[in-house]
Amino acid sequence: MLRIKNLRCYYGRIMAIKGVSLSVMEGEIISLIGANGAGKSTLLEAACGLLSSWKGDIDFQGNSLKGCDGPAIVRKGISLVPEGRLIFPPMSVTDNLKLGAYTRYRKRQHAEIARDLEMVIDLFPILRERADQPAGTLSGGEQQMLAIGRALMARPRLLALDEPSMGLAPLMVEKILDTLQLLKKEGLTILLVEQNAQAALKIADRGYVLETGKIVLQGKASDLLSDVEVKRAYLGKDYEEFYEGRD
Amino acid sequence: MTRDTRTPEEWSQLRLERLQTTLNRAYRNVPFHQNRQNEIARKTRRDPSLIEDIREIGAFPFMERKHLGEHYPYGLFAVPLRDIVRIHTAPGASLNPTVTGYTRQDLNLWREVVARALTAAGVTPHDILQISLDFGLTNWGRDYKDGAEELEIGVIPNAALSPDKQLLVLRDYKTSTLVTTPSEAGHLADLMFQAGMNPTATNLKRFILVGEPVEADFRDLLTERLHVETWVHYGLSEVPGPAIGFECAEHQGLHLNEDHFLAEIIDPDSGRVQPEGEIGELVLTTLTTRALPLIRFRTGDRARIIPEPCPCGRPLVRMEWLFDRTDDILTVNGVKVHRDQIQHRLARALGFNPECGYFVTKHPGEKKYLEVWIGMEYSFFSDEIKDLEKQVDGLVETLRENLGVPVRIRLKEKASLADLPSDSKT
Repeated sequence: MLRIKNLRCYYGRIMAIKGVSLSVMEGEIISLIGANGAGKSTLLEAACGLLSSWKGDIDFQGNSLKGCDGPAIVRKGISLVPEGRLIFPPMSVTDNLKLGAYTRYRKRQHAEIARDLEMVIDLFPILRERADQPAGTLSGGEQQMLAIGRALMARPRLLALDEPSMGLAPLMVEKILDTLQLLKKEGLTILLVEQNAQAALKIADRGYVLETGKIVLQGKASDLLSDVEVKRAYLGKDYEEFYEGRD
Repeated sequence: MTRDTRTPEEWSQLRLERLQTTLNRAYRNVPFHQNRQNEIARKTRRDPSLIEDIREIGAFPFMERKHLGEHYPYGLFAVPLRDIVRIHTAPGASLNPTVTGYTRQDLNLWREVVARALTAAGVTPHDILQISLDFGLTNWGRDYKDGAEELEIGVIPNAALSPDKQLLVLRDYKTSTLVTTPSEAGHLADLMFQAGMNPTATNLKRFILVGEPVEADFRDLLTERLHVETWVHYGLSEVPGPAIGFECAEHQGLHLNEDHFLAEIIDPDSGRVQPEGEIGELVLTTLTTRALPLIRFRTGDRARIIPEPCPCGRPLVRMEWLFDRTDDILTVNGVKVHRDQIQHRLARALGFNPECGYFVTKHPGEKKYLEVWIGMEYSFFSDEIKDLEKQVDGLVETLRENLGVPVRIRLKEKASLADLPSDSKT
């Protein structure tokens, strides 16, 4: 569904992503994990049209995303739940959700949008209670739900999430991840970027480990979950620290 | 596996992703690979791990068996020792044995690879699979056991049994599939006839022949005499394991597990990649191996890639495994023996470097063995036959223990060594 080949991203002259290839098949949950600064968010930004200076190939459903801006990519079917939620705090919850369907209003899909709004509110019942409240008054977990709901309002085929567990209580993280699994069952494909490797791999089909802009490990999520090397990459610990014990 | 739904583009993407990951990990974790990649970077002024097409692997230098010896024991491991869950020793090509390490994921990989090959040979949980391999191939014995268990096949693991006992087990335990080398298969067939065992009285259905290429005549003979179907598997005995290539029901070449290995055919003299379909030396790069990644490893095996797709529909490319090697390694019952190794061992045991000749022989009704001719020297000579016999027995024992193959030694006049072909002398 999404195929990234030899992706290189630049910030000025610095190469943040160094020739990464990664693929997401239809119906999969893929986790991209790695320590801070590994380049996870950069990769997502490139795929979602928020970063223009990249080289390589990004194909979505067989079409290149080269030169596409954010709205064009949303129209193609990729929605991003950005890091730190980035909801619009003074606006009401409902308005935030409606904004997620921004690209669809032009197509006069009002009836469908209303149905989707219902669907999102069914998915996260707490948002119904908070419907008229300013989004800024929501708790962290609720804001995250809102951010996911907003992304769903664009009716994506691929949902990309950047660190949805950040700053959330473990119980809330579990809730969010359960929702992602539910969405997968309904046919949504998910690309999940996480520092919380443990949680992300638990729900994923496959995973990739990114280290300073390069993929150093990949495989079935269940294999990676039990992998000492993953813990090492995720914790960002030195090789030597893990070498002790048997030499 | 037969019904793989991946498109050709998805296959090439998968292989590219895995190759890039392998190169990145090798660079990060193994100084040997890091130095080599830095060397390429210095020459070409670009980062070699930024490979954009799997064919670009051709820019990398080869790995050879000698590197495994030079970095003995753990120098080429790409994981810390504590991630290793199995350490295996194989007789190496140098004085040092070859050490292979496996992480837990590696063991899973071999289970998958072997299970896939066994499935292609039609082995099912209704089968009883017996493994009979020389101790130089015990590594494979374990991999076959694991792979068969993965498929819930009843396994009789490799055990040091005499041929008679093997035969007894084969008959009484109702073995339906035998994993063994061609030499041993021939030997067992002979023994069965000597013992007056009627092959139809056994449950034997198929032989999985490993370790050496097999002549078509020999396969026909086995089929005719024992009423079995034969399947050939290709693997590397030192590293990393068996069933890298396997036959499907078409029996037209061996499918390579391309999702785990990248195969190239090179001209053994120039090192250049051969045009598609040409004969040359098989070079392998591991795509998923964790503990001991190999990058362009020269196998020394002569082979040819069959470019046409297989009628069975598997997306995996096929290889024709050919006789003779591109290096000077001898294969005795599937176990590889390097000439230098024989010479080293003899020199160490005798205290001087003898003039020798070696070759692989087979007498009817026996397995293949390594025959070593030693040119007589005064320092070695004794007028007591007993002393000489003792010396020879000692040498046989040393070689057998270290090389893992049956050995015979003959003491010869130096002049008679001159009659041997030049590639079997020192």
